[in-house]
Amino acid sequence: MALPLSYSWRSMYARGTRTLFTVAVIALVVVAITLFWSLIGSLKRTLVASGSPYNLVVMRKGATNDGSSQVPLEAYQAIRFFEGIAKDAQGNPLVSPELVVQPFFHTASGARENVLVRGVDPVALQVHDEVHIAEGRMFQPSSGEAVVGKTIAQRYAGAQLGKTVHFGTGNWKIVGVLESGGSTFESEVWVDARQLADDAKRSVPYSAFRVRVAPGADMDALARRIEGDQRWSLQAKPELDYYESLMSTAKVLYFIVASLAIFAGMGAIFGATNTMYAAVQARISEIGTLRALGFSRGTILLAFLVESIMIAGVGFAVGALAAALLAVAISASLGGVGLPALTFTTNVVVLRVAPQDLVMPFLLALLIGLLGGLFPAAAAARLRPVEALRKA
Amino acid sequence: MIDLVNVSRLYHRGADEIHALERVSLHVERQRFVALMGPSGSGKSTLLNVLAGLDRPDSGDVTVANQRLNDLSEDELAAFRAHTVGFVFQFFNLIPVLSAVENVELPLLLTNLSRAERRQRAETALRVVGLADRGSHRPRELSGGEQQRVAIARSIVTDAELIVADEPTGDLDAKNAEEILSLLQTLRRDFGKTVVIVTHDPRAEKWVDEVIHLDKGVLLETRPGGAARAGVAG
Amino acid sequence: MKYLPLVIRNLGRNKIRSLLTGFAIAISIALVCILRTMPAGLDNIIARASGTTRISTHNEAGIVYSLPYAYLAKVRAVPGVSAAISWNWFGGAVDVTKGVEFANFAVDPDQLAQVYPDWNLPQSAFDDFAKYRNAALVNQATLDQQKWKVGDEVTLTSTVFPVSLTFKIVGAIPQQGNTTFYFQREYLAQALQDAGVNFDTTGMIWSRVDDPGRVGAVMAQIDELFHNSDAVTTSETESSFVGNFFSSIKQIVAIIQIVAGVVTLCIVFIAANTASMSIRERVGEIAILKAMGFRKQTIFATLLAEAGLLALVAGAAGALVAWGGLELLHSKFNAAQPGGMGALTSFVVSGTILVQAIFVSFFIGILSGWIPALGASRRSVAQTLREVF
Repeated sequence: MALPLSYSWRSMYARGTRTLFTVAVIALVVVAITLFWSLIGSLKRTLVASGSPYNLVVMRKGATNDGSSQVPLEAYQAIRFFEGIAKDAQGNPLVSPELVVQPFFHTASGARENVLVRGVDPVALQVHDEVHIAEGRMFQPSSGEAVVGKTIAQRYAGAQLGKTVHFGTGNWKIVGVLESGGSTFESEVWVDARQLADDAKRSVPYSAFRVRVAPGADMDALARRIEGDQRWSLQAKPELDYYESLMSTAKVLYFIVASLAIFAGMGAIFGATNTMYAAVQARISEIGTLRALGFSRGTILLAFLVESIMIAGVGFAVGALAAALLAVAISASLGGVGLPALTFTTNVVVLRVAPQDLVMPFLLALLIGLLGGLFPAAAAARLRPVEALRKA
Repeated sequence: MIDLVNVSRLYHRGADEIHALERVSLHVERQRFVALMGPSGSGKSTLLNVLAGLDRPDSGDVTVANQRLNDLSEDELAAFRAHTVGFVFQFFNLIPVLSAVENVELPLLLTNLSRAERRQRAETALRVVGLADRGSHRPRELSGGEQQRVAIARSIVTDAELIVADEPTGDLDAKNAEEILSLLQTLRRDFGKTVVIVTHDPRAEKWVDEVIHLDKGVLLETRPGGAARAGVAG
Repeated sequence: MKYLPLVIRNLGRNKIRSLLTGFAIAISIALVCILRTMPAGLDNIIARASGTTRISTHNEAGIVYSLPYAYLAKVRAVPGVSAAISWNWFGGAVDVTKGVEFANFAVDPDQLAQVYPDWNLPQSAFDDFAKYRNAALVNQATLDQQKWKVGDEVTLTSTVFPVSLTFKIVGAIPQQGNTTFYFQREYLAQALQDAGVNFDTTGMIWSRVDDPGRVGAVMAQIDELFHNSDAVTTSETESSFVGNFFSSIKQIVAIIQIVAGVVTLCIVFIAANTASMSIRERVGEIAILKAMGFRKQTIFATLLAEAGLLALVAGAAGALVAWGGLELLHSKFNAAQPGGMGALTSFVVSGTILVQAIFVSFFIGILSGWIPALGASRRSVAQTLREVF
């Protein structure tokens, strides 16, 4: 015979203040965990969205990102004609030679940050097919024009459509705004590759190439051929793997989340245990009565566990809601959260609590409820009916 | 020792007014053992609280040990209780986490006595109640009668002139009840204390000098107790 | 103080509850300490680079933009500059499949000792560095990371220049936290010349100003010198440079601070829950104490002391656990990890954090006990006696 859920529910409700305190503790833990977990999630979503499964990143061997790589012009000219590369309608190979530099930009509050400026040829929009011009138009080659990612326009002083912004050694007129479905390209500025090379006085014009693999072609074979060519020391990585590797920035964040989950979780478990012990003590005579009426130990154990898990559940709901609101407030007040990428440049991440970011906090809350209720529930179940009635 | 003149005390319970005491006047001499008796709700506990400085009357004058309690602030009342009054309760009300001797010592924390002096006095008080060998026990390790004797030791340890006890035998069996009443009589006879108890235990009558009857907040009668008739008064 | 035994006994009244509360507070305080080390660690890095008389001159456009090497001689000639060296990022990797694991720079050996007196190296090490063309001065942290020692020969393959260079380590820089590696610019220049690459630029110039009062004027003078040239410069003090370098993690730091605040609030609730539970079940006893003549201030103070003591002891334990735990973890993360986030893991629970944590936990204890203690101490004795007994 099981006790109805409403028994646990009403018991929880009956001890107002104490339950409220415990709910608050669990909710606060959930807020803390959710904030960090969704920060990692937001960063991940940004980077994961950035790769195309059909693209290869070709860099110099040893370079960890295209910003610290240099590749010779001859390599570009040769690789274009390798087999297995997709072509556009005119039969031109979809190889995008790119130069990455990291000039200073100034935020509205005056802080100096390195921004990723990507020098590209017109073919770039075809290779990075998730990137499109949302407002304005693409820049004209050699015209001193630039297009900026959506978050760049929001974050930096004077980087809005129609304005002229100074970076590098020149002035650039912003003629368009890039969108790419929330990926990292929205934290970049695109300009003409040759003009950028002149501006940065780079004798080697390119940092890396992005290569689109032809439909049906063997991506690994193409990568092996590029890497095996003895004339240049190059590496070719699938674009998805490349952006995944940039996630190593998040290692520190993972560490913070792990320590938060362990420490705050344990603290909350102790807090919940405390409350449930008090709940058992306050209800000794009630438990005696229930036992005398014939409810089994298992039933009593279950009822107290359910009550504890309900408290954790309410705490989770309150905490998740608060975290979601806090995330919106933080993102709005900071104009997106700047995360340093491997390239020393700033990735702007829009902090948002996605449903999948709540899985971990939910499991933690469940664990808190379960472990917090375990010992007190066992203590309640161990009470002998006569003893329990006498103690009251 | 105790002078109450036209003392009234009113309680509000919801919309109802309860006259716990109505124009009660009372005089108790020094070194008397007095029992306040009456049915539940007769106001006897309220009377005890008022003369012990725990509760204030709505009107009337209260003078105890030459101090007019009406004039005292809360803190002065606390000091008055600390120096002049010793308390004994029905449920003993010892602090469970302290040993017997530490419980007795507790009121001495309010004095300037040294640690050693405090301990010595507490042990003396325990000897008076016949529990010299039980000092290190926690309250739950003692019987009801023993606990009440510890409580009495606690009430006399500050050398208070007035000992008040609310139903001191209410939670005890007959044998222990007699022992406690006898002990209280000893306090008055051998140590010169004034002892006021609230009780509805008829056995008390034969130990006290004076029985005061109350009902519905009104003082009905005062008559001599068994001790007075037996000429125990010294 | 004579009430202390009473306070301690009261904490022992419900041992499980006191222990659970203590653990919860200790763990949360430990967490707050760990979180607080991150922003504090960042401040430390900036403070450590407090070379306010050492200035960085780099291209106004960004640190990846180069300057003509000829600028070094011009900077050295500026009055007030006592010494200056150039810095070039080499991007050398021990194993190209692993990428760059520590920062390595080509520098000018002649005035290195004057620019970096804070390395605390003997003059002989600087002399060796200048004497041998392939000499390298390596931070102790780098040696530990790579399991190298002074005297070893090591080869780095550049990811920037088309060369590999073999170096002989002549000295260990005992500075903590930085994984760096310095070698002679001339050695790189020769190798590049042999490879047919023209090498006439530098990434940055570090100079030392002899008079702290003239730093601003000297910086202005340097920047004025190159104002109308191709490569416009920005000069700033070392601490300003390092501060700017980490500016992009300030928002993470802000979020960490918010979370630390959330956890602190959590402790308040844990402690308040316990305080209210333990005081509520003792109203009768408190009434007895008042009847005996204990003043309400005394009772209030002992109840507060109880909550404060528990939080204080637990908080101190938590702070110590955080300190000890982080000392163990310290080696796990590399503070110079590319990307700058590594700066957040230069965990040291400093004295300040310890003191703050202990103070905060005591304050939380007092705060959590305040309302229930006030309520209990103010309750009328007569009323309590009527209701409870």
